[in-house]
Amino acid sequence: MKMVALAYGFIWLAVFGYVFLVGRRLGKLNGELDELRRRIERSKS
Amino acid sequence: MPAQTFQTSHSSPRFLAACVITFLLFLIACNAIAEAPREITMGLVQKIFYFHVPCAWLLMLSTLVCAGGSVAYLFGGSERGDRVALSAAELGVLFGMCVLVSGPLWAKAAWGVYWQWEARLTSSLLLWLMLLAYVLARRYGGPSARRLAAALALFAAIDIPLVYFSVRFFRSIHPSNTVVSTLGPGMRGAFWLSLLAFTALWAVLLTARLAVESAQARLVDLEIELDQAEEKRT
Repeated sequence: MKMVALAYGFIWLAVFGYVFLVGRRLGKLNGELDELRRRIERSKS
Repeated sequence: MPAQTFQTSHSSPRFLAACVITFLLFLIACNAIAEAPREITMGLVQKIFYFHVPCAWLLMLSTLVCAGGSVAYLFGGSERGDRVALSAAELGVLFGMCVLVSGPLWAKAAWGVYWQWEARLTSSLLLWLMLLAYVLARRYGGPSARRLAAALALFAAIDIPLVYFSVRFFRSIHPSNTVVSTLGPGMRGAFWLSLLAFTALWAVLLTARLAVESAQARLVDLEIELDQAEEKRT
């Protein structure tokens, strides 16, 4: 039982950890993109 | 150009629907695994099989996709191919890590040892190390490492037949490739459902990871655009 719980627990943890990291990177990049777009608008006007 | 929120495939309704379907598939698969009969000799520990084998399949699929993207980049100059290759390599590292952790836990219960330097385990470890080398080269090697990493992906793809056929050509204590066809009806359904759920998860993660790469590329384009706009003003 211990080995099964460890194996399943590790896989779930790894997948959720990866999803969290990708989500955080994407959110940060989208924030930077929006900021850049605003700066481009300001410099063009 | 009006200010707008950057839209990527990760926020599209189709992507959200894929996430929901994947979640439901996992619910059904986990239920089927819980309901599946216990294997006579190994007992409960055999249930590691339902997650271990799909992760191994995704390690190989990721390597193949990484190699395909690398071929498109090396011989066709495809930037998209390069982005697909990097995203797939990261997923290969993730699922390879799951294989290399769940496998030894199962082995300890079934064989009495965590690790044996036999062909299947060793070639799988090599495959994972090559994907890890690819990801590290891309992360820390700078732009010049892209071609080197792509060549490494092709080298990793050569290892796939070795991993798959190793149990046939070498003396091995690892179960053979035909073990799926010997499963009982209750076990077989749970296995295929789990494989389907993991493959759907892989597709969802690949789409999200590609969105990161696309956003990164767009960011570079916009920085160039901003520089040009500021140069015109001065």
